[in-house]
Amino acid sequence: MMKRLLAQPRLRGLLLFLSVAGPGIITSNVDNDAGGIATYSMAGAHFGTTLLWTLIPIMVALIIVQEMSSRMGVVTGKGLSDLIRERFGVKITVYLMFALVLTNFGNVIAEFAGVASSLEIFHVSKYVSVPLAAVVVWLLVVKGTYRSVEKVFLSACIFYVTYIVAGFLAKPDWAAVGGDIISPSFKMSSESLGMIIGLVGTTIAPWMQFYLQAAIVEKNVSVKEYRMSRLDVIIGSVVVTVVAGFIVLTCAATLFKAGIRVETAADAAQALRPLAGRYCAALFAFGLLNASLFAASILPLSTAFVVCEAMGWENGVDKKFSEAPQFYGLYTMLILLGAGIVLLPRIPLFPVMYISQVLNGMVLPLLLVFMIRLINNKKLMGGHVNGPIYNSISWATVVVLGGLSIVYIGSLLKI
Amino acid sequence: MAVENALREIPGTNAQIFVYFSEIMGRLVCAADGEGLGRLADFKIKMGELFPRVASLAVKPRHGKQILEMDWSNVDSCNTQSIRLNPGAEKLFRPLETGPEEILLREELLDKQVVDTLGARIERVNDIHLIIVHQDLRLVHVDFGARGILRRLGWLRSADKLTNWLFAYQTEERLISWKYIQPLPSHPDKRNLKLNVSARKLHEIHPSDLADIIEELDALNRSTIFRALDTQTAALTLEELDDTKIQTSLITQSPVEQASDILDEMAPDEATDLLADLPGEKRRKLIQTMEKPSREAVEALLKYREGTAGSIMTKDFFSVPGTATVGQAIEEFRKTTCPLESVAYIYIHDAAGKIAGVCTLRHLIIAEREVLLSTLMNTRLITVEAEEKIAEVTGLFRKYKFLALPVVDAGGTLQGLITLKDIMQEELEE
Repeated sequence: MMKRLLAQPRLRGLLLFLSVAGPGIITSNVDNDAGGIATYSMAGAHFGTTLLWTLIPIMVALIIVQEMSSRMGVVTGKGLSDLIRERFGVKITVYLMFALVLTNFGNVIAEFAGVASSLEIFHVSKYVSVPLAAVVVWLLVVKGTYRSVEKVFLSACIFYVTYIVAGFLAKPDWAAVGGDIISPSFKMSSESLGMIIGLVGTTIAPWMQFYLQAAIVEKNVSVKEYRMSRLDVIIGSVVVTVVAGFIVLTCAATLFKAGIRVETAADAAQALRPLAGRYCAALFAFGLLNASLFAASILPLSTAFVVCEAMGWENGVDKKFSEAPQFYGLYTMLILLGAGIVLLPRIPLFPVMYISQVLNGMVLPLLLVFMIRLINNKKLMGGHVNGPIYNSISWATVVVLGGLSIVYIGSLLKI
Repeated sequence: MAVENALREIPGTNAQIFVYFSEIMGRLVCAADGEGLGRLADFKIKMGELFPRVASLAVKPRHGKQILEMDWSNVDSCNTQSIRLNPGAEKLFRPLETGPEEILLREELLDKQVVDTLGARIERVNDIHLIIVHQDLRLVHVDFGARGILRRLGWLRSADKLTNWLFAYQTEERLISWKYIQPLPSHPDKRNLKLNVSARKLHEIHPSDLADIIEELDALNRSTIFRALDTQTAALTLEELDDTKIQTSLITQSPVEQASDILDEMAPDEATDLLADLPGEKRRKLIQTMEKPSREAVEALLKYREGTAGSIMTKDFFSVPGTATVGQAIEEFRKTTCPLESVAYIYIHDAAGKIAGVCTLRHLIIAEREVLLSTLMNTRLITVEAEEKIAEVTGLFRKYKFLALPVVDAGGTLQGLITLKDIMQEELEE
């Protein structure tokens, strides 16, 4: 039966796609984590649709960057930190890992802040929800039950559809939205600069490139199957951007219009009112909680994995603690400290989520420089090095984002 | 050649003669009169000896970009400050080239993954430990430890001070002798690099560890290592691999001759599973090249549907007629050349070929040689038919705690054997 089905070329193509697909789509869904939802909501609420146009160049850059990670994974069969260590030596690798752990740590804090603020809607104190979430996440991964729960997280991502529906229900002025996208405008201010960097940082997070490449390597995708993998990445990237665009749009049509500034989850939840009425808070809380837990189970694990791979330490949850002490140590510490910081009294949860994404955006150009140099290495990539279009877009991303970061830091320091 | 204060790290040893690669890398290379010519970029070693010699230095010249090569024999003195050449040697620089049996330490070993055959796992090289003997610089150890990382970062002294002050403790060295190290070629043109002396060491690693190592490597190194294995080790390692995708890619990348030799060597049921995953054309080609006995076994097994007892059974079993004596059975057993998967039970068939009973190896050993097997055998037999589902067979193993179960056809003739190991593998895969 199966064999006969496989004889049909179209079905065979689909099956091949399904066997290779996954990493790109999963990565993009994890991408819409607590920091993502917070940043997109704030972008819409505080700037209306004026920053919506940025998502188009961001999407192009996202596709290019993710495609590079997955191509490197397929051709070399090695992880990104592995390649960085082998090509650039231990010194650069150690400093880069410090930067990455620090940024990822910011993201871990953001995920736990997401847990805290979503459950605050249900009047659960963060002193209860956050430690509980930390324990659950730690056990999920260490006890190896994560794989089965991944599907639950993934299917709960259907939540993002609510933003698309709410976006239509809010009846935005489509002509004005179109105008904002077609004729980009930008008012120079420290706040809008930070927001643009945050939007880039949350959509093209540095840690995702490591995660995506590792997932591709783990799937043993061969060079022949690569076209399918690329399709997976492109679909994932487009989905992310569409969801992000609708979050911004919905928040612009509701919160921005009403002049609400997003300080808490309850504020951000008002965006879903056209769809869910008075249940909007519950709906938003559910989506934010799922996104936070999903990313919180992947992010610390991926960070520990990447660092251990670069340093040549044993890693993987199939190892015992005594076999891989650095791996478990780093993993546990990220969760413990990440959750701990959220428990500090009076810590502003939404700003924390947003700032972590701005940090992502500032580290990204640095990582990109390494990625571009690796992927253009003939010894490593053979005939699969970047073409001129890829190189110009990726270098442009580095220059623009690097420039924005410098100007932003300058404006913060009031130089 | 004079060697001055090369190393201060290993107390109690003849401390003058060891040096870490990180301590001389990037040092000044100067002419006999002291004129700086360039910086040390790399060392080239020639593989083959137990502790291979540095054959030449790669130097990044002061002017110009191209890396130049200088034979080690032209070095007058070497220490952790600089390398001084013999008079007139500066005219002997030539463009750097590496032959098939030569590797560059920095380019191809430092920071790369290697197989530690002693610990049976993959490690990353943090530093390289060299020794100076009789004017030669030789590679003795590789450094896998945290000290290697700290040394290269330039933090070793401060880290030692800190740990000493805090815990009165110093991190330990993790140096592994070069003879246990299997380097992995880093790019395709070096894949035929004759694996060095330690390649033999690969065979001392247990096949299940080898399988773990292979799974951890990238595709290029996977096939390099796999090709370095002898047929028997390759077959055992292939059986131990969990990922069918890796299994099939290794076998399809091997030349047909070699691949079919490996399949011959594998247990027929394992070989069948592997072949079943290959595309039709490739499968037919491989089966045709296999030797007759294993080819027939594989062809028979391929007939059974997936998920049935027949698909996981082995054709290697031992069966004698009931009219045979214990002595004859033992003789027969001795003559059996194929490696039997299970020797726990000896099956006895009647004149028509139908399975009649079973003896244990213990029976054969303790009974008199003249005793007829038909008088010894246990006739209360549990058998399964080849079309039976695996789940049912697993149930039987649970219930009766056998080491192996005979598989028969509808007429009761023995077709094969399912061992406890086969069942365990099936269970574990689920």
